[in-house]
Amino acid sequence: MDERNFTYMFYGFAVVWLCLIAYVVSLAAREKRLRQQLDGLKKLMEDRAK
Amino acid sequence: MRERFMILFSGFAAVLLVRNLYVMLVKLPDEAAQGAIFRIIFFHVPAAWTAFLGFFAAFVCSILYLAKRNLRYDAVSMAATEVGLAFAAGNLISGMIWGRIIWGIWWTWDPRLTSMLICWLLYAGYLMLRRAVEEPSQRARISAVLSIFAFVDVPIVFFSIKWWRTQHPQPVVWGGGAMDSSYWNMLFLNWVPLILIAVVLILIRLRQEEAQREIDAVRRWAHAL
Amino acid sequence: MPGFLRDSLTIAAKDLRSELRTKEALNASVSFSLVILLLFSFAFDPSADQTREFSGGLLWLVFAFAGALILNRSFARELPNDCLDALIASPISGAALFAGKAAANFLLLLAVEAVSLPVFGVFYNIRWWDQFWQLAGVLALGTWAMTVIGTMFSALTVNLRLRELMLPTLVYPVMIPALMSAIQLTTHLVGGQPLGGDVLVWLRLLVAFDIIFTALALSLVETVLVG
Repeated sequence: MDERNFTYMFYGFAVVWLCLIAYVVSLAAREKRLRQQLDGLKKLMEDRAK
Repeated sequence: MRERFMILFSGFAAVLLVRNLYVMLVKLPDEAAQGAIFRIIFFHVPAAWTAFLGFFAAFVCSILYLAKRNLRYDAVSMAATEVGLAFAAGNLISGMIWGRIIWGIWWTWDPRLTSMLICWLLYAGYLMLRRAVEEPSQRARISAVLSIFAFVDVPIVFFSIKWWRTQHPQPVVWGGGAMDSSYWNMLFLNWVPLILIAVVLILIRLRQEEAQREIDAVRRWAHAL
Repeated sequence: MPGFLRDSLTIAAKDLRSELRTKEALNASVSFSLVILLLFSFAFDPSADQTREFSGGLLWLVFAFAGALILNRSFARELPNDCLDALIASPISGAALFAGKAAANFLLLLAVEAVSLPVFGVFYNIRWWDQFWQLAGVLALGTWAMTVIGTMFSALTVNLRLRELMLPTLVYPVMIPALMSAIQLTTHLVGGQPLGGDVLVWLRLLVAFDIIFTALALSLVETVLVG
């Protein structure tokens, strides 16, 4: 294979994946927030039950 | 059930990607002028195609929402737009890198890149609009209308920018017109894993949206007690 | 059909009357356009030849920015005293309400442009009236594109907190094809050439844009306002 600009080709590949990974990270952050809300609710229910 | 699909799709996408990378880097013949960097096209172009699939799905679901008023369509519309924007960003930035290496400039006002940038702004506006509306059915209704306007505008934008660039010849002319058929095959073959990944991401986002709705409902009930 | 026409004209007359009494948005818009024209001439200090090259761009940027002030108020003016609710509850169809407001905005925008154009000619020393009627036609078509999108999105964003910020951000990207066509046509006409040949593509694009988005807006505005 022609090796000219090989590193830059990988930068290009990497960038597409980085955009997708950035989106996945934002999904993970939202997951964490959802979990926090859920935990908060559970605690609220427990406090109410007492 | 949904989990099983997600794992199946992800697995298949991973296998296909690995196989494609091998063929891409080892097997395919060389492109004369640009060297290795031309192979960027195998992610740059299918990313754009995937983005437009996402925007089209959002368009269809927006119409379905306005017809049926089922909030699930609104959720799909939103998820598809978010995922579409992620792929569009990938297309834009990889296009900029390609341009920087080949032509020495970061932004070349190439018609396809410029049109994609405008589409990105359109749909980023969609997400921004959603953030500004609290009430779910109002938010769904308003963003559905915006999504319809945006998608109708997409082909008009592409045509107008293309004609603008034809009238004002740019210093660079994008390649990719006459390509070896093995390259075309690889383009489509690499599109498949990207579509699968897009679907998985949309499914994950949808599940989060359902979870959020359930949490909101439980919270309302908890406060009412 | 006559009901629709009568309703739209009533709304248009109401909006125009209310605006012409206070002239708030009109004055703000005209002042803003003059300021932009002034600023551009400081910023770039172009010669007459240079100006002729980007006359369309300069004019339409001025119209777009100054026009946003008028378009923003279109539905927002109905918010105090629940006027919007009253209008929605009235027997006027959403499409007629939209058409009336769009017509009023169109006339107001044309008024701003009618003032800006001679000022542009004076500040930049450009003779712009060689193709006057064709220029008027292009201004009308381009302004209608701006009006349709701006009025529609004004309805879309009327109940939002950040309305003033949201409207330009949403409107300008959608309008790019129409702006581009109007700019190309205007530069051509201000340069003194009649429309013909290659440039006609832009005219067709502008007309198509107007038709498509007017139809879309008329069909969707009821959904936006009422539900």
